[in-house]
Amino acid sequence: MRKAIPYLRRTIQALSFFFLLYLIIKTAFPLELKIPVDLYLRLDPFIGIITILTKKAVILRMLPAVGVLLVVFIFGNFFCGWFCPMGSIIDFFDRILFRERKRSKASNDQAFRRLRYGIFIFSLVAGVMAFQVMYVLDPISLITRTLVIAFYPPAIFVFNTLVPQVQSFLPKNPFIMSTIPMPVFKVNLLIFVFFIAILALGTVRKRFWCRYLCPLGTLFSIVSRFRILKRFVTEDCTHCLKCVKECPVGAIPEARPEQYRRQDCLSCFKCLECPPEAVSFHFGLPHWKTADGVDLSRRYVLGSLGLGVVSALIIKANPLQSESGLKNNRLIRPPGSLPEEQFVSVCTGCGECLKVCPNNALQSTLLEAGLSGLYTPRLVPRIGYCEEFCNFCGRICPTEAIRPISIEEKRLLQMGIAHVNKTRCIAWDTEKICLVCNEQCSYHAIIGDDKKRPIVKEEKCTGCGICEHKCPVDGEAAIVVYASGVQKKLKPEDVNNNKTEVPASPTKNENSF
Amino acid sequence: MDKFPNKKLTRRQFIKGATAAAALPLLADKFSFYGSLAHAAEESELVIAKNGSASQLLQAAMAPLGGMGRFVKKGQRVVIKANIAWARTPDQACTNNPDLMTALIKMCYETGAKRVAVWDHTCDNYQFCFSRSGLKETAQKAGADIFSGHGRNSYKQVEVQKGKKLRTVEILRDVLESDVFINFPIPKQHFATELTLGMKNLIGITWDMEQLHKIGLHQCIADVNTVRKPDLVLMDAIRILTTNGPKGPGKTEDIGEVIASADIVAADAYAASFFKHPKTGRPFRPEEIQFVKNAYELGLGEINLSKVRVKKVTAA
Repeated sequence: MRKAIPYLRRTIQALSFFFLLYLIIKTAFPLELKIPVDLYLRLDPFIGIITILTKKAVILRMLPAVGVLLVVFIFGNFFCGWFCPMGSIIDFFDRILFRERKRSKASNDQAFRRLRYGIFIFSLVAGVMAFQVMYVLDPISLITRTLVIAFYPPAIFVFNTLVPQVQSFLPKNPFIMSTIPMPVFKVNLLIFVFFIAILALGTVRKRFWCRYLCPLGTLFSIVSRFRILKRFVTEDCTHCLKCVKECPVGAIPEARPEQYRRQDCLSCFKCLECPPEAVSFHFGLPHWKTADGVDLSRRYVLGSLGLGVVSALIIKANPLQSESGLKNNRLIRPPGSLPEEQFVSVCTGCGECLKVCPNNALQSTLLEAGLSGLYTPRLVPRIGYCEEFCNFCGRICPTEAIRPISIEEKRLLQMGIAHVNKTRCIAWDTEKICLVCNEQCSYHAIIGDDKKRPIVKEEKCTGCGICEHKCPVDGEAAIVVYASGVQKKLKPEDVNNNKTEVPASPTKNENSF
Repeated sequence: MDKFPNKKLTRRQFIKGATAAAALPLLADKFSFYGSLAHAAEESELVIAKNGSASQLLQAAMAPLGGMGRFVKKGQRVVIKANIAWARTPDQACTNNPDLMTALIKMCYETGAKRVAVWDHTCDNYQFCFSRSGLKETAQKAGADIFSGHGRNSYKQVEVQKGKKLRTVEILRDVLESDVFINFPIPKQHFATELTLGMKNLIGITWDMEQLHKIGLHQCIADVNTVRKPDLVLMDAIRILTTNGPKGPGKTEDIGEVIASADIVAADAYAASFFKHPKTGRPFRPEEIQFVKNAYELGLGEINLSKVRVKKVTAA
């Protein structure tokens, strides 16, 4: 039984990772899964806390995170070692890539161990001051974002390359396989490099990221200090130090292996493989005091606090919205987004909306929304447009930065307004008939004048961008959507299905015979 | 005539025949055998079926053409180009009538088709088009495969030899390779080209639909139609969209007709008359639709309906 635990843990880790992968794959049309596809993000109490601080409201979707905190209180930090998909990946790569490498001794990592508390305080302060870059470090958001932005497009590329090959083996019909339009995200390289860097930290120490940087792990360690299920060592201990070596997070001090740092323990139960079987886990009363804690001096706490305040202020004061420092009017937010200032502080940049968008219209920002708006979604009509009968992004946003709105509400929400660039437009510039924009517009917001040239009716335009997307002009479109600042509601259009006019008897056509 | 020297038409016979020909359509509603009589007559080139349910209309429209058996032979593969371009519900008349599609697929199978495939290169996202129009479910229930042309690997680049402006175009491979190709359009008002008819429907078998507007839309519609002429055009005019086309939603009109023909220009020329010209207020004349005219000039069919054997039948 004791021997089986590591295998059991590895299996659960793998299952957890593949379940996340499954959920991400299912984050697509028709979105009818019984389990919420953003389950992992909803289970993340770090995101929950930061969003409560920035949004100043409790998000009901994030309630499962409270349950996780409760379980951590009972069993200690089981999440990182058993369920965290990011932890699974790090464990996997530590195992296959860095197995042979001898690591430096884990004993003198006091300074490192302090780092995570510094980061945690920093992120809390920054979170209160509405500066979301710390979400970049949240492991669940990070792994979702990495899978969606960095690995989903290459997967589709491989699929598209294989399709013709597979097709040639199959009888021609009815097995017609279609390639999928390639999703594109321009920030993919940056996110990939960041991910690789995290994995590479494993060369320094096992699970370096989890132990010294991860803010979610820090939250869990604070809670798991009070854990009820505790490790006990009997006097049979021979000081063989097997547990010290085996512990993946180095939570057992070399000098006194009968003790352990409760806050760092991942409850992986590896130390149960004790030769004299001196180690056991059972329930006990919560305690604050722990062995070999970090020295969080007043100086250190105030230092990270101050750093959080100052950097949040500096980033808030940074005018980097567009090159000129003015408001970026090409920054179109998804339908139902919170007002910009709140949006950037609530959006975790997890990338779920980028994945679910059926037209690849949502793109991750780099600096378009300023420094505080890193990795937030924006609508880029030239790449894809906002589908009329789709409200998926709001339905899957774990922090409700994109509000879950109904299709009816969404169809009357103005994200931006289209403008015709008459010097580029085929119809305005040449004699040709085009009017693709008029034909494609779902809201009758583009009408043609008597010479069949497009004119935008601003009071009907939602800024979905289908006109810009389908515009046949090469390069920059001849009709361009500009953000309308705050998203506002449009007046509903009266449904004109034969109500105003009595359907005349079918036009007779005797004269053509 | 030399083969039948005795069958000279007398005046008496002529008057009899002419009276019958004039009287029968008038009595059409009262005689249920009218349809079979029509079938016995010479094959028509354009059949207009009125009054009846979708499957009755289809039966009635196909019979005078010689039945579906004339087009679909046993073991053949049939490709239907439907109009599922927009994410609209069936009652908004922007996409095909589901009942008629069911009837059409079933009729193909009854005549011995091996497999029927429904294709469209949708304008909105294909998943939303297929689910909102209900046509994916419809087609699959009737036993057909339904495909969307969103993947470029489904296309094949061909040269448009007869085209005037269009040189090369990427056409759905399945359409080019199929044994029987049925064009299944729904007539709609269209702001840019005035009307969306059978020929405009075939824009949906090309890959780069927007590109055609740059080259010259009307000529391109005609040019695309030279690549693979549909064996049968079955026009779904049960309910048509008369305003805000082609995407709608707009005003609809229940025409209740199904038009069948092998001649796409004739079918379009007839369907044009459902709509009123925005300026004159009179029904469109076929020549007023530029792409119909262009297609006629390319020799794709007959624009002058007086030169076409037209048959109007009543389905029920």
